[in-house]
Amino acid sequence: MNKKKSGNTSRVINFKKLLREPVLLLSILIVFYLLTVFVIFPLFQVFKTSLTFEGKLGFGNYIEVMKKSYYIQPFINSMILGVLTATIGTFIGFIFSYAITRTPMKGKKIFRLIATFPIVSPPFVIALAAILLFGRSGVFGGMFGNIYGLKGLVLVEVIAYSPTAFLALVGVLRAIDPSLEEAAMDLGASRLRVFRKVIFPLATPGIVSAWLLVFIQSVADFGNPMIISGDFSVLSVQAYLQITGMYDLPRGATLAILLLIPTVAAFYLQKYFLSKKSYVTVTGKPTAATIKNLEWYIKLPVYSLCVFFAGVVLLFYGMVFYGSFQKLWGVDSTLTLDNYVQMWRVGKGYIFDSLIIASIVTPITGFFGMFIAYLITRKNFPGKNLMEFSSMLTFAVPGTVVGIGYVVAFNTTSAIMPFTLTGTGLIIIILLVFRNMPVGIRNGVAALQQIDPSIEEASIDLGADSGTTFRKITLPMITPAFFSGLVYSFVRSMTAISAIIFVVSGKWNLITVAILGFVDNSQYAQAAAMSLLLIVIVLIALGLIKLITDKLGQGMNSATVVE
Amino acid sequence: MKKLLLTLMITIVALAPLVATGAQESEGEKSYNTLHVYAALDTEEAQYYIDAFQKETGIKVEFVRMSAGEVLARIEAEKENPQGSVWFGGSNTSHINASSKGLLEAYTPNIDFELAANFHAEDRTWNGFYTGAIGFVSNKEFLEANGLEAPASWEDLLNPVYTSQIEMAYPYTSGTAYTTWATRIQMLGLENALDWWEKFDVNIHQYTKSGSASIARAGLAECAVGIGFSHDILAKGIAKGYPVVLSFPKEGTGYEVGAVSLIKGAKEVEEAQMFIDWCFSVNAQNMFKAYFRLPVNPAAEIADGAIKLSDIELIDYDAVTHGMNKEANVKAWRDRIGK
Repeated sequence: MNKKKSGNTSRVINFKKLLREPVLLLSILIVFYLLTVFVIFPLFQVFKTSLTFEGKLGFGNYIEVMKKSYYIQPFINSMILGVLTATIGTFIGFIFSYAITRTPMKGKKIFRLIATFPIVSPPFVIALAAILLFGRSGVFGGMFGNIYGLKGLVLVEVIAYSPTAFLALVGVLRAIDPSLEEAAMDLGASRLRVFRKVIFPLATPGIVSAWLLVFIQSVADFGNPMIISGDFSVLSVQAYLQITGMYDLPRGATLAILLLIPTVAAFYLQKYFLSKKSYVTVTGKPTAATIKNLEWYIKLPVYSLCVFFAGVVLLFYGMVFYGSFQKLWGVDSTLTLDNYVQMWRVGKGYIFDSLIIASIVTPITGFFGMFIAYLITRKNFPGKNLMEFSSMLTFAVPGTVVGIGYVVAFNTTSAIMPFTLTGTGLIIIILLVFRNMPVGIRNGVAALQQIDPSIEEASIDLGADSGTTFRKITLPMITPAFFSGLVYSFVRSMTAISAIIFVVSGKWNLITVAILGFVDNSQYAQAAAMSLLLIVIVLIALGLIKLITDKLGQGMNSATVVE
Repeated sequence: MKKLLLTLMITIVALAPLVATGAQESEGEKSYNTLHVYAALDTEEAQYYIDAFQKETGIKVEFVRMSAGEVLARIEAEKENPQGSVWFGGSNTSHINASSKGLLEAYTPNIDFELAANFHAEDRTWNGFYTGAIGFVSNKEFLEANGLEAPASWEDLLNPVYTSQIEMAYPYTSGTAYTTWATRIQMLGLENALDWWEKFDVNIHQYTKSGSASIARAGLAECAVGIGFSHDILAKGIAKGYPVVLSFPKEGTGYEVGAVSLIKGAKEVEEAQMFIDWCFSVNAQNMFKAYFRLPVNPAAEIADGAIKLSDIELIDYDAVTHGMNKEANVKAWRDRIGK
């Protein structure tokens, strides 16, 4: 990152460089336009809605909300939940990615696979499994006391969202050159010291991003609290219920806007925290990746945590798998295939629609997200912070609100959007692209911050333009982060619920709308069957995406011999 | 390559019309338009009725399934340019609210029987096409283990044996739970109803969000007693095979009227009106048997095991007044109960 003292001069130079590259300038303008139309504008509409109080404009809704304990308490609850989930989730995600990238642990592929299960399935499936395992009449009934409430929520969300932290961190840890550790150890540092002084500090941007991602996901989560929160009410659910239960769009919008406060705060804290250090490790010098034998006191806790977490995930999904073949989940355990037959009969159209939409959304999100990450970390231009911030916004807002914002914003034409988008498949695609992009951007930023800009500068000095440099130098180095961005986008496109329900039309129906329908109708076994089918589809797709990105990465690597 | 960045952006923009064209309508058979329906029924059930309608009339229907509250929020957000023409199903409480917001269009269905006055809006912005009463769903094993009969009155629900054993939805999140609350208000008056509920609250294990969630939860023994609509208890509890029984309070109970309405500014008015007419036809009303809903057409058959409204004690439920007063009623509840 740039040091403050050289900031002014380099800004002028960068701005001149920018003028010399009209294509870059144009794309920055286009990105700004798209972010304004598809992120800011819908949220502005929501904000405007929240200012409608008894038919007039004003802050009446905000005052009402501040006065009532039943609006304030959910806000506090959401914060407690978010901090707990993010901290535990990031810790587990870090240990997992450390084990995968830094230890000779056996069966890494299987651990990786297991760790990705939870992001692949709609979250409420985990909550359901939790009830069947730990509920009053569950398999381990009463073992942890009352599962409904904060305890159960943290358990379920940690399982659901640690994988996000894992995905974000594995790319980061992989990018840390093992020769740094070797050097430190050769100089006599102990393994723990190396970890404390080398790996941990270098991974800090990744850790902070991962924490932030999990925090935001937890705060905006809606599916799990709907099922397992008991009397512990959280803001995202309250906002939803205010809209759908009380038919009160303005106050629901007000609660949703409140959710933005912690997100914005978390975002700025992260910026402040990260602006102080440099994290460059990929400098263009040759490396040889080796993993030295680790001491038992590192292996033991790391391995046991991995095995334990994987065991818990398997237990939960084993429950889902077993449940999907039961005649009546939780009551009649006669095995049957009926659930799958019924699921297929009701849902096959939904599955194909979802696949089409997700395959369009995924590459767009991946490239667009990486491109923004690249602009943010590598280019200097006015409004850079604004770009970074607004690209994160849709992620932070509860889906219900994004969905309603989209309907209000794009149901008619306006000066900045001359087409009506509602009722088309396009609105679903756009919503998903902008909602899924932040994870790709965060991962990309974290990865790019580790790569020395001088490699790219060298390329530009040698006469290549930004485009060539991005494609030939930057892209191959961020392939792991790019891949995890693609994975996340595909998965979220297949599993998104709360925002989608407002933009789906009869022509384009998505798989999660069907799953939610099953859950609403208490058809848990069919919901489980469909979730499992979803997992299989996604795993196949992940294999394909990996194949393609590997090829892409290899092809480019050979062209990028860096001295 | 100089054009990489540009190509990237162009791809994104260029995909737009492609996808939009893909979503463009191909004209249906005859001169009918494709009818767009928002269904507040379960997917499978909605599909069941809509398939029959398509077969009978040849009109193509595209529908989205949402909860009644989601339909209302969506219609409100889309009011400048409505995308749906018919709102199919859901408790009349939500239709009444939509009507008071001016989101619905009056239509008197073309039917050959008299629809009771409390089964339609005075201005006909909504029309009720099925009904069902509030009842109790109890776990058989819990009853047996405690030597109890299924609760048969509202006072039975205050029995200390049910401490932290009863579940229902929040009155502000579900039409079912609101109907229950409005029923208590109409039976006791607001103040007495609040007092009663304060005692009742001790026995509540947790409030759920969905009105029918407590049925399966009683089946799974996560709670002993749930409160829900009789047709839901029959269809989602007993018919599914959960070990539960259905009972009604002897002092009287409230009921819902499920409504269908024409959305204001609908683009397919003729088709929408045909759909609404069809909802009241004997053919359509006979189909409710499969889901234990009670038909409003006197010529329609009733499912075996379904409870007729005439068989149970009903209060004179005033849906319109309590639909309009929902905000005040809920506020009183939340201020007293604090949840």
